[in-house]
Amino acid sequence: MSAEAAAPDAATSDRAGWRDRITAEALIVLFAIPVIVVVGFASYAVYVQTSSTYADDVVVNNALGYGTIVAQTGEHLLLTFVAALLVVAIAVPLGVVLTRPRTRFLAPPVVGVANAGQAAPSVGLIVLAAIWFGFGFWTAVGALTVYAILPVLANTIVGLQGVDRTLVEAGRGLGMSSWSVLLRIELPLALPVIMTGVRTALVLLVGTATLATFIGAGGLGGTLQTGISLLRYPVIVWGAILVALLALLIEWLGRVLELVARPKGV
Amino acid sequence: MWQFFLDRQPQFWALAYGHALLVLLAVVIGTVIGVAVAVVVTRQPRLAPVANAISSIGLTLPSFALVGLLLPLTGIGPISALICVTFYAIFPVMRNAVVGLQGVDATLVESARGMGMGQVAVLRKVQLPLAWPVILAGIRVSTQMSIGVAAIAAYVLGPGFGAWIFTGLTQIGGVNAEAYVLIGTLAAVVIALVFDLVLLALGRVTIPKGIRA
Repeated sequence: MSAEAAAPDAATSDRAGWRDRITAEALIVLFAIPVIVVVGFASYAVYVQTSSTYADDVVVNNALGYGTIVAQTGEHLLLTFVAALLVVAIAVPLGVVLTRPRTRFLAPPVVGVANAGQAAPSVGLIVLAAIWFGFGFWTAVGALTVYAILPVLANTIVGLQGVDRTLVEAGRGLGMSSWSVLLRIELPLALPVIMTGVRTALVLLVGTATLATFIGAGGLGGTLQTGISLLRYPVIVWGAILVALLALLIEWLGRVLELVARPKGV
Repeated sequence: MWQFFLDRQPQFWALAYGHALLVLLAVVIGTVIGVAVAVVVTRQPRLAPVANAISSIGLTLPSFALVGLLLPLTGIGPISALICVTFYAIFPVMRNAVVGLQGVDATLVESARGMGMGQVAVLRKVQLPLAWPVILAGIRVSTQMSIGVAAIAAYVLGPGFGAWIFTGLTQIGGVNAEAYVLIGTLAAVVIALVFDLVLLALGRVTIPKGIRA
């Protein structure tokens, strides 16, 4: 009888759960971005096919041709994702260490240093890295990684600290080792918060990767730089639009990841 | 490096002044716009998520891309830089102002209205003071971001230490490249810390006594 009484309750709370899971804001973003991106790329294709500026000006033609744009987009995505993987590989374990009872006291100084580091302008970090380690892909990846660690680290710490202590106690009481409590209780419960940090880091990375072209690491910033230094307005504007579209796409991907990675009961 | 700094002291202080002024102007203008939009948006509950979605999308745009987009419109120079930095300064303030204003207890607004206050008075004496700590937190985020964006805006000759960073970039391999970039970057960090301290102090002074943590 109690089960029957609970059933409709469960149904409504399930629906309410879906509502809670996705805010109106996230819904708008999830629907608006694909529309903007499709319209944006379609306009670029139409421009390349029809504009006389594109056909007549060799500089514009080279900078905005499909070959250049596809290659730069590939470089841009590679920079973004390699750096994002490194960020997660460094920040999540570090966040775990900084929330363990024995090493917890290290959290405030580490987060403080990371905060101050975040205040450094990204372009300064990238150029400094190039001076110290030379031009190229891996230098850019290193600078990007350093720059994007903070959001994931901070969110991992906050997420793990937010896990109800009684659940950890209960897990220990069931005979789980501290490892399996971490892997099966704490990290899954903290995952939504961590994923929000990962999304923030992805957006930061895709934006900052625009600057990688300054140190010869490629990416869509190259088109912009060409446009600005040769003063071709179509190249500048389309370069900027394509970079912006790519960033929107990454933000969208981050939002989807955030939804997918959320464990069911949370 | 110390000698390098001493040799270029006048230029250093000019850049520091330019960088700080650019950020200050952008954050002040951004705060006014962000709070104004938030006030309008929180009157209409349906608009709040739209405003937040616009903030999310706006913050996604890479600053270098915005610099490029502005170039044909406003040309090379400080105006482009100011518009660019202001654009990013708006969103964190706007988002926090929406949260802060929505967090004001409706019964307090009711009682203020019941005491005979007009809408403007309620906003000025009840809602904004109560939302102020959250708004101020948004202003701190905006300020930190603006300092980094200002450095990138130097690519289109905006004022500030970005100039030294790009000078160092073009001189890589030269003796002074490292000094230019390192001093430029560290100076930006120092400016960020100073601004943050000032904003913390501002919070101490301006957050109403009754809601101070």
